Amino acid sequence: MTTLPTAVGTRQSAGGSAGRAPAAPSGPRRRRGPNASQWAAVGFAAPLLVYLVVFYAYPLWRNIDLSLHDYTIRAFVQGDPEFVGLDNFADVFSSPLFGTALWNTAVFTLVSIAFQFTIGLALAVFFRTSFRLSGVLRALFLVPWLLPLIVSSSTWAWMLNSDNGIVNSVLGAFGIGQINWLTSPDTALLAVTIANIWLGIPFNLVILYSGLQNIPGDVYEAASLDGASAWRQFRSITLPLLRPVSAITILLGLIYTLKVVDVIWIMTTGGPANASTTFAVWSYREAFGTGQPDFSPAAAVGNILILVALVFGFLHLQLQRRQEAS
Amino acid sequence: MQSMRRKPVTVLTAAAAVAALALVGACSSGGSGGGSSTASSGTYTWWDPYPQHDKNSDWEQRAQRCGEDAGVTIQRTAYDTTALTNQALLSAQEGTSPDIILLDNPAVSTLADTGMLTTTEELGLDTSEIDENLLAAGVVDGETYGVPIGANTLALYYNKAVLDAAGVDPSTLTDWDSLTAALQAVTDSGKKGITFAGIGTEEGSFQFLPWFWGAGADLTDLDSPEAVQALELWTGWVDAGYAPNSVIQNSQNTTWEEFLTGDFGFVENGTWQVNSAAEAGFETGVIQLPAMDGGVAPAPTGGEFIVAPVQQDTDRYDVTRQIVECMTTPEGFVDTANTFAYYIPPTEAGQEALLAEKPELETWVEAVRSAKGRTSDNLGTDYPMISEALWTAVQNALSGAQTPQDALAAAQTEAETATS
Amino acid sequence: MTSSRPWWKTALGVLFTAVMLFPVYWMANVSLTRTGDLRSDPPHWFPWNPTLEGYRAVIAQQLPALGTSMLVGLGCVVLTVLIAAPAGYSIALLRLRGRGPLNFLLLVAQMIPAVVMAMGFYAIYVRLGLLNTIPGLIVADSTVAVPFGVLLYTAFMSGIPRELLQAARVDGAGTWRTFTSIVLPISRNSTVTVSLFAFLWAWSDFIFASTLNRNGDLIPITLGIYHYIGNNTTQWNAIMATAVVASVPAAVLLVLAQRYVAAGVTAGAVKD
Repeated sequence: MTTLPTAVGTRQSAGGSAGRAPAAPSGPRRRRGPNASQWAAVGFAAPLLVYLVVFYAYPLWRNIDLSLHDYTIRAFVQGDPEFVGLDNFADVFSSPLFGTALWNTAVFTLVSIAFQFTIGLALAVFFRTSFRLSGVLRALFLVPWLLPLIVSSSTWAWMLNSDNGIVNSVLGAFGIGQINWLTSPDTALLAVTIANIWLGIPFNLVILYSGLQNIPGDVYEAASLDGASAWRQFRSITLPLLRPVSAITILLGLIYTLKVVDVIWIMTTGGPANASTTFAVWSYREAFGTGQPDFSPAAAVGNILILVALVFGFLHLQLQRRQEAS
Repeated sequence: MQSMRRKPVTVLTAAAAVAALALVGACSSGGSGGGSSTASSGTYTWWDPYPQHDKNSDWEQRAQRCGEDAGVTIQRTAYDTTALTNQALLSAQEGTSPDIILLDNPAVSTLADTGMLTTTEELGLDTSEIDENLLAAGVVDGETYGVPIGANTLALYYNKAVLDAAGVDPSTLTDWDSLTAALQAVTDSGKKGITFAGIGTEEGSFQFLPWFWGAGADLTDLDSPEAVQALELWTGWVDAGYAPNSVIQNSQNTTWEEFLTGDFGFVENGTWQVNSAAEAGFETGVIQLPAMDGGVAPAPTGGEFIVAPVQQDTDRYDVTRQIVECMTTPEGFVDTANTFAYYIPPTEAGQEALLAEKPELETWVEAVRSAKGRTSDNLGTDYPMISEALWTAVQNALSGAQTPQDALAAAQTEAETATS
Repeated sequence: MTSSRPWWKTALGVLFTAVMLFPVYWMANVSLTRTGDLRSDPPHWFPWNPTLEGYRAVIAQQLPALGTSMLVGLGCVVLTVLIAAPAGYSIALLRLRGRGPLNFLLLVAQMIPAVVMAMGFYAIYVRLGLLNTIPGLIVADSTVAVPFGVLLYTAFMSGIPRELLQAARVDGAGTWRTFTSIVLPISRNSTVTVSLFAFLWAWSDFIFASTLNRNGDLIPITLGIYHYIGNNTTQWNAIMATAVVASVPAAVLLVLAQRYVAAGVTAGAVKD
């Protein structure tokens, strides 16, 4: 413990400049061209590269192929679809549903992420220092993730039922009248968003908690010796040191939320009046929601979602670059 | 320090052990796998949408017996209904279709359209005994693509105690006005009138069709005045509080759970609840769904068809035919009806054999005889698109997003675009 | 540790957990409820008139499926870590060329709809004879976790102090030694996190299992649930009972994993 001050010193510089440190060695190395360490890098990444090529290339190609052809189910089975270029995309963009789905997707995703991340971070900070039962309670927080989605979504639909749901029953006790959570176009999106926030909290909690664990405790101890308040510590230690992990958590959260189908489908099937139809639900409905599978428009909507995710991925990369450069 | 170093190693060892285990598991399960029908000629593959019947069930035994009679082993796989259609398409694309599929009837014309099903003629099946209204769902452009193994349909169950307390005599409910008056009487007596399923899936259309057809409306004309009247009947019930708001998200199963609480006067539900109704904690009864101006409304038929996908090796058809025939004898139909408690045989001989055993099913046999296939009227593969437009309109109107008139007008436009 | 806080923190923690787990309680409540009471209005807070019907059905029918899910989950964890950890090391610390595009690819990979992935695997597995096998399902399930694992390892490993790596190099350790004796032990938290998610995703997967593993004798628990969903009827108490029974072994695993994280933290503190 006597070595604490120096330890804090090195740690702080190491952690605080997590971005700066890697930039330094990369400079000279790049000039040297391919060398032993690059070969090692490729070697370590090789399993992943093989894995990606073997398992993702075909599905990715397939998704693009589906969206550029007119795959009626007959063509799907016979394998002789007509090439239609970007017609499927044009249909999607000109569909009256496009605006609604865009708005719903934006609201659903952004509100979900904002609350999941904030609550997850708050809980992670809360659980950072251990207290009696903290380990068990933290583990219990993950239980929602153990449930098959059909079960957790159905349970939420159950609780939010207009007439015999527990939520309305409790609200009724406080004199609030019946809210038609899932059956009114005004509240359906809110209802599925609440359920989705609940589902996403464990994910955020686990990753952020894990990120907090990587921040050495002595940094905080030094700060509190300096008399920094809990809020100051959070602002000037937790948030900056957690930035790379926060960024990846939000990015992944975005991607997973954009993809959410099960929750919405089981709770409202995207209705009523498309009030809770997101792009992912739209895509699913085209492909599987009716008796007449329509894979091509479904794939087109899916590909638009991929593009949206790419934009966010690009933003993430830019942020990272800027951080590395500073 | 040392303990810390060692731990990852233990983890890795454990990991390797698990991986090895997984491989062992794989080898042992690999032998019994192999779903492809070309694997061995003595094994015939069979898919059905009955995951509730497992390997030890009577239903499995039944399928196996039919296989044994034809001198082969049957390998049966159960999917849930939605997954089954998708898997059938996927396997047809890869040329690994099973020999036999039991398929929900509106899906038959969809799969037939892809060219992946054999006609009954190719297979050498005789379909002359089957009731025409029930066979219709399997007929596309004059060709028949399968045989119903049984049929079910909808009717109105009622709670006798609730009706008695409200002073309603179920036998007098023969048209919409008398039914609505009965709902009002039940609601006034402090109970809830009726529950039905208005969910935004095929089930929603299935439940709405008896009222739609009962008003005299036609699926090719979704915004006719008759259609609007049918939808106004439903929205009127919800607005007046005769039906709960939850009908908008109710599946048929949920409506039944609601009915079982004993709070409801009526529920629109199907043959498959006959056993559960008998076990309910109160006395129940069944009446036919009334048409608008009296008489019985045609309810849609439900139930599975037995179909035979196209095989590369056409020699297999002979055994397939034997298996199908084994499933569709009058005794076979009664067996099926007893297994599921909700299948009325699709032939007259079968129906009589069933009634001899269970005379109480009379109402249901009658209902099935006057029922109507959803894909009939030569709608075929247009039906799924029309149905989607229809259930969307029902949802929009019930939730108050649109008036019935506007919702159906939009549905008609949508259906026309989709089917043109 | 500070001993002045625990009490109110524990109380608050219990409260948070209770709120968070209310839907789980509700599920357990439903698992004990008779069909006739499922939709009572107002709803019952407790199963007044409980039935064990659902649990009897589950114990009789679903135990093998639990084993299968466990096996698939653990297999998926191993595969994911084996692929993702070295890749993260390569991207974050060995500064692999083209890591930008690779990161992008990983993002795209995660956006491919699971259904399309399942169709792809079906086409591949039909040819390789891997349909209805456990390794086949493990590999398919791992596609959800691998890109996630790589991105997470990368994010965490890029925070490892360079001084440690340089010190190792000075001591004459090669990249492999550095990886196994420094990077991996330090990344224990990330490994636990990645493993956790790999396990959970495999555990809750439905689409891959439904498309690729229907036929085998070993079906996972998510398919087992469909035993109680007929084409017109649904046995809710059995479904919820399955979920309750299924979450017990997994929850035990979680608590153990949390212990391990805690142990890792203490070890990490000692190390310096």
